Amino acid sequence: MKIRNNFIKENITGYLFILPQMIVFLAFLVYPILEGIRLSMYRINYQNERFVGLDNYVSLFNDPVFFKALMNTVIFVVFIVILTVGFALFVASAVFDKNAKYVSFIRGSYYIPVMVSMVVMSMIWSFLLNPANGLISYFAKDMGMGTFNLLGNKTTVLPIIIFVTFATNVGQAIILYIAAMIGVPKDLFEAAEIDGANRWQVIRKILIPSVSSTTVYISIINIIAVLKIFVVIQLLTGGGPNNSSVTLMYYLYNNAFKYNQLGTASAVGVIMFVITLVLSVPQLRSIIKAK
Amino acid sequence: MTQVKNKKKMEKFDVISNAVIILFAVLNLFPLYWLFTSSLKNSSDVVKMPPDWWPKTFTLSNYVDIFRDQPALRWAFNSLYVSGISTILVIVFGSMAAYAFSKIDFKFKNIIYIIFISSLMIPKEIMIVPLFRIIQDFGMVNSYSGMIWPNVAAAFGVFLLKGFFDSTPNALREAARIDGAGEWKTFTRIMLPIVKPGLGALFILNFVQVWNDYLWQLVVGQDKSMKTLMVGTATLMQDLNPNFAYKMAGATVAAIPMLIIFLLFQRYFTSGMTAGAVKE
Repeated sequence: MKIRNNFIKENITGYLFILPQMIVFLAFLVYPILEGIRLSMYRINYQNERFVGLDNYVSLFNDPVFFKALMNTVIFVVFIVILTVGFALFVASAVFDKNAKYVSFIRGSYYIPVMVSMVVMSMIWSFLLNPANGLISYFAKDMGMGTFNLLGNKTTVLPIIIFVTFATNVGQAIILYIAAMIGVPKDLFEAAEIDGANRWQVIRKILIPSVSSTTVYISIINIIAVLKIFVVIQLLTGGGPNNSSVTLMYYLYNNAFKYNQLGTASAVGVIMFVITLVLSVPQLRSIIKAK
Repeated sequence: MTQVKNKKKMEKFDVISNAVIILFAVLNLFPLYWLFTSSLKNSSDVVKMPPDWWPKTFTLSNYVDIFRDQPALRWAFNSLYVSGISTILVIVFGSMAAYAFSKIDFKFKNIIYIIFISSLMIPKEIMIVPLFRIIQDFGMVNSYSGMIWPNVAAAFGVFLLKGFFDSTPNALREAARIDGAGEWKTFTRIMLPIVKPGLGALFILNFVQVWNDYLWQLVVGQDKSMKTLMVGTATLMQDLNPNFAYKMAGATVAAIPMLIIFLLFQRYFTSGMTAGAVKE
């Protein structure tokens, strides 16, 4: 009897402890997801909702701007993630075994832009890139390249956004890599040294494989962060010129809060939700396995 | 064995790499230098070509203008309030749940935990339409609670703190129980103090994340007085005042609090972020 009572008590206590988090989780995460899926099948006009089945999705796939947004988002994800992982690996592998002061200096100087936020960094870059009186335009003129309007030009606007986002956010990946590399057992390096391996071989054969789980983690959090890229678009280009830098998140926001197309916006949200879910599977699996 | 002979010389490859890295680090900080010095120039010097690399005349008038023309202090307070309360709630709810998942045996706990953490990667922004309608239904548009609650929903705190609770010995909890302490007392008096480093890391990470959040706060805080610092500062980009130095002063005001936090709590960032990453 006593044991049974204890068992029930333990169960009740357990549920009481998770209750507050559970309520917020259900109300502000699970419910919005379900509601978003429902809304994506409706045409919504203020209080009027009319069921339209998959019409919103059909019209999305007939909208060239949506395709542009999808393509741009994919381009951003691919280039920014590759640049971030590549550069962070390069930085971390070169500095992780140096003295602590130096490591902390490097870590700090690359992480400060992350801290001051994308909003502030976007504002600075918009000033630097301003065609009339930005520093970068000044250098361009100085070197005889004529007037420079990198953000107003269809061919340069994407590389610029890729660069700005990468330069602002790479610090996080650097911190994670340095921490992971410091944790690699020392005897591995000593063994390699005895075998006469040079630094490049040590990095390639020991260091990079040892931090592969960090690489997976960094890739996933960055893919998901870039997937919802918004601030830099709103502040630097407004999606322009002529929709050439529009992204999924920016498209969603405009449909929802500018054109009042809530059904369409929800459909974009659902598509992004599915993409996120698929992408996070490997990470989830490793968390569950680690238990 | 004369292993410990002369200290190994750095290889050429290593020297070049580090030189490149330092160069990039300096270049990476340059925009911030330019931000700060530009904010101290007057409206004609800031757009002067060729530029003054260091302000010729210093002026604080841009800062005076920011605080006079914009409710910048109010924005800063809004940011502080929203980030602070969100973070406290994340810590309270998250630590309770994390403790239960780590130490208490209850039915379906593994399944519930997996459902919780599968939400980790889902950004709230993609559900912005239904979320906004919920906030509307609750009458929370233009309110702090409208900005705060969605930040508490994600299970990041649960995930991070569970790792810390898992590494505490079970015997500790059992001993407290035998001494007659109830579950709540065991949790608050014995277990929470042990995971303090985890709470610190979570506090910093979450605070900064909410502080630098943008889209959700943009949507919820529509009145000028309800904007947070990031959203309010971003409106300076569309401001009628064409003075670039004024905009840069606003951006500096937005940048400074987080710079200070980072310099003060640098080690927590490293420990918190790595606790979030999974190692095999």
